[in-house]
Amino acid sequence: MNPVGRIALVVFYAVLGLAAAGRSVVQVTTKFSDAYLAYSVSLLSAVLYAVIAVAIWRGAYQLALWGTSIELAGVIIVGTLGYVESSWWPDETVWTGYGSAYGWVPVLLPITALYLLIQERWRDTLPANFT
Amino acid sequence: MDVYEGFAYPLVLGFSALLAVAGLVTVVWIRAHNVLKWVVTAAYVVTLIEAGVIFFAMVGGEGVPGVITTGYLLAALALMPLLGIGRLGEPDAAQEDPDPNRPILAPDQIARVDGTVAVIVAVAMAVVAWRVFEIFQAV
Repeated sequence: MNPVGRIALVVFYAVLGLAAAGRSVVQVTTKFSDAYLAYSVSLLSAVLYAVIAVAIWRGAYQLALWGTSIELAGVIIVGTLGYVESSWWPDETVWTGYGSAYGWVPVLLPITALYLLIQERWRDTLPANFT
Repeated sequence: MDVYEGFAYPLVLGFSALLAVAGLVTVVWIRAHNVLKWVVTAAYVVTLIEAGVIFFAMVGGEGVPGVITTGYLLAALALMPLLGIGRLGEPDAAQEDPDPNRPILAPDQIARVDGTVAVIVAVAMAVVAWRVFEIFQAV
């Protein structure tokens, strides 16, 4: 993977992880019973961001690929459910509205990461003389 | 809180804009990396000023919510080590790490990494400052 893109991804995930961790810790410790599903999703997203950041930094691309796939699925499912079943979400998560509160970075980032990770995987699996 | 709203908050916002511009210019024109290094050093100072002002507002008995403000204070400080992360890709630094997947960057790549990261951190710095401003406004 291009090292500039790789480190930029690590920093993006670290910053998002920091934001999600702060948000979820406050939500879970102070008002978990108000919206346990939403706050659990926030906590899950924080853990996921941290795992992906470390995986990309350590070159564990298989783990990063799984992590970003789960992340993208989560953003799409939670974002869609937020509109379809709004009563399930008394409060917002990082992925609510497809990450609109975070400038849609939560939906754009896994797409970018998946593109780079799949490109890396193809490069590894194709024979050296493939044109 | 008045010091934060009237001084620290505008300072951080203005400086975030400067950091983002310096980062963007460095990505396009890597010779600006030297300027970016100065801006990054100044970013540490600005963040320390911001942290100090927030801390004194918290201990000043003005009714600032402690847990959430402390969280944002820590977030503002935690962003700082990310600035200049390109140095971790310098050949000397990478050689000391036994990890074979550690990226080793050429000088132009270090500049581009630092520039990109400066833009990301600038946005995050501004968001943190804005959230603290909102908390202080609500008090």
